[in-house]
Amino acid sequence: MTISQMNFFQRMWYILCRYSGSLLNGAATTMAIAIICTLFGCVIGFAVGLVQTTEPKKGSGKLSRAILKVVKWILEAYVEIFRGTPMMLQAAFIYYGMAQLFNINLSMWSAAILIVSINTGAYMAETVRGGILSVDSGQTEGAKAIGMNHVQTMVRIILPQALRNIMPQIGNNLIINIKDTCVLSIIGTVELFFTFKSISGALYTYFEAATVTMIIYFILTFTCSRLLRWLEGKMDGPANFDLTTRDSLAFTSGLTKYNKETGGTY
Amino acid sequence: MEELLKVEHLVKTFGKNEVLKDIDFSVQRGDVISIIGASGSGKSTLLRCINMLEDATSGNIIFGGKDVLKGEINEDKYRTQVGMVFQSFNLFANLNVLDNCMVGQTAVLKRKKEEAEKIALEYLSKVGMDQYLKAKPRQLSGGQKQRVAIARALAMSPEILLFDEPTSALDPEMVGEVLDVMRTLAESGMTMLVVTHEMAFARDVSNRVIFMADGRIEEDGKPEEVFNHPKKERTKEFLARYLSEKK
Repeated sequence: MTISQMNFFQRMWYILCRYSGSLLNGAATTMAIAIICTLFGCVIGFAVGLVQTTEPKKGSGKLSRAILKVVKWILEAYVEIFRGTPMMLQAAFIYYGMAQLFNINLSMWSAAILIVSINTGAYMAETVRGGILSVDSGQTEGAKAIGMNHVQTMVRIILPQALRNIMPQIGNNLIINIKDTCVLSIIGTVELFFTFKSISGALYTYFEAATVTMIIYFILTFTCSRLLRWLEGKMDGPANFDLTTRDSLAFTSGLTKYNKETGGTY
Repeated sequence: MEELLKVEHLVKTFGKNEVLKDIDFSVQRGDVISIIGASGSGKSTLLRCINMLEDATSGNIIFGGKDVLKGEINEDKYRTQVGMVFQSFNLFANLNVLDNCMVGQTAVLKRKKEEAEKIALEYLSKVGMDQYLKAKPRQLSGGQKQRVAIARALAMSPEILLFDEPTSALDPEMVGEVLDVMRTLAESGMTMLVVTHEMAFARDVSNRVIFMADGRIEEDGKPEEVFNHPKKERTKEFLARYLSEKK
C-alpha cells in the first residue's frame, strides 16, 4: 500500500512508525533547549531584576550612584530590545552576525541556547521585578529592623517569596519556550518543528505530519504544566502544622515532641 | 542611672510638612516609656527615625555615647541593638515561627545554629509560642503573630525595644495577651519605648509618659503626673477626649 492509498489514520501511523526516531530526537532537543534556556533565563532574570530593584544606599557617593544608574539603563535597554523584536530575527541577527562580524561560527546548540536564554531573561527580568515588588515592604522593614543588610534580606526573605509568587509565570515561560524553539529552525536547529518540516517535505503529508507533531507538542507542554502545578503545591508546604512541646508530660495529650536535631517533630 | 539613648533637636520633614519639630529626650537603661498622642502627632515617625527606617532631616541620636546619624556606629549593627516591634507584625512569611526567630541570629549575629535555636526557644516559650514552632505566620492569629514578633526582636538580645502601636492592628480580645507579654518584659527590666493608645498600659506599666502633639513633646513625666495633673491644656483635652471615648 502506498501513501496515497492510505486513509488519514493510516498515514499518521505510518509517520509515527517510520519517523519515530527523528520525532523523539526532535522532541528531546526541543525539551532540552526549553528547559536549559528557561533555567538560564531565570538566572539572568533574577540578576537583572535584583539590580533593577536596588535603591542606592543612603550616604553613598555620587560615583556609585552614577554607576548604578548607568547599569540600570543598560539593563533596561537589554530588556526593551529583546522583548521588542521577534526571536526569529534575533536568532538570525546573532547567528549570522557573529559569523560575519567576528568570524565566530556558533555551533547549533550554543547558538540556540544563547538566543533563547537571553530572550527568556528579558521577559523574566520584568517578572522577577514584579515578584520582588509583590512581597510587602513590611517584611523588608522587619528584616532591616533586626540588622539584616540588603543582600541578606533579599536572599533569605524576599527572593524565596518572589520565586514562589512568579512560579506560574516561570511555567508560562517554559511552555512558551517549548513552542517557540521552532523559530530556531531558521538557523538549522534540528528540533521538533524542523523534524515536522522534513517529514512533510519528504512525504507531502502536511496535514497528518502537523497533527502528529501538534500532539507531541501538546503532550510535552501539558506534562510540564502539571509538573509545575505539583511543584507549586510542594513549595507552599503543608496546610497544617503540629503543635510541639518539650514537656514530656504533655506527650499523652496529643502534642508531639520537638526534635532538636531536625528542628522538626516526631 | 545609665543613659542609653539620647535624642537631640530631632527634626523630620516630608517635603514641606514638618512632622517632627525639635524633639529632645533621653532614655535611661531600664526605662519603660509610653509615647501617647493623637494620630498624626509624629509618634510613629519618631520611633522610625530612632531605628533609622526614616532618615531624620537633622538632629542627633546618640546611642551608647555614639552619634548614630553621623555614622559613628554601623547602621545594621546599631539596629541589632535596637529592636523594633511593628503594628503590622512584619513576620517573614516564608519562614516558620522558629526560623523567624533564628534567621537574624545566624545571618547577622553569626551565632551557631544550636545556640540560636536555644535562644529562640527560650524567648518563644517566654511569649507562650513554643508550641507553634513549625507554624507559618499565615496560620497564626494576630495576637500570636505579634508575640512571635516580640520573641524575634528579643532573640537579637537588644539593649532597647521599640514598640510601634503593637496592639493597634489586633482584635480586642487579643490585645490582652500581647500587653501581658509586654508587661512581663517591662518587669524583667527591659528598656522599652512604646507608642501606644492603650492608656491603661501607659499609666500602669510605664515609669514615664511622653505626650506628643503636632510633632512636639508637650509633656514628659511620671504617669501619675501626666494623667492626673497634666500641665498643658492640650494634654488635658487629649486625655479628656480619649477617656470619654473609651467609656
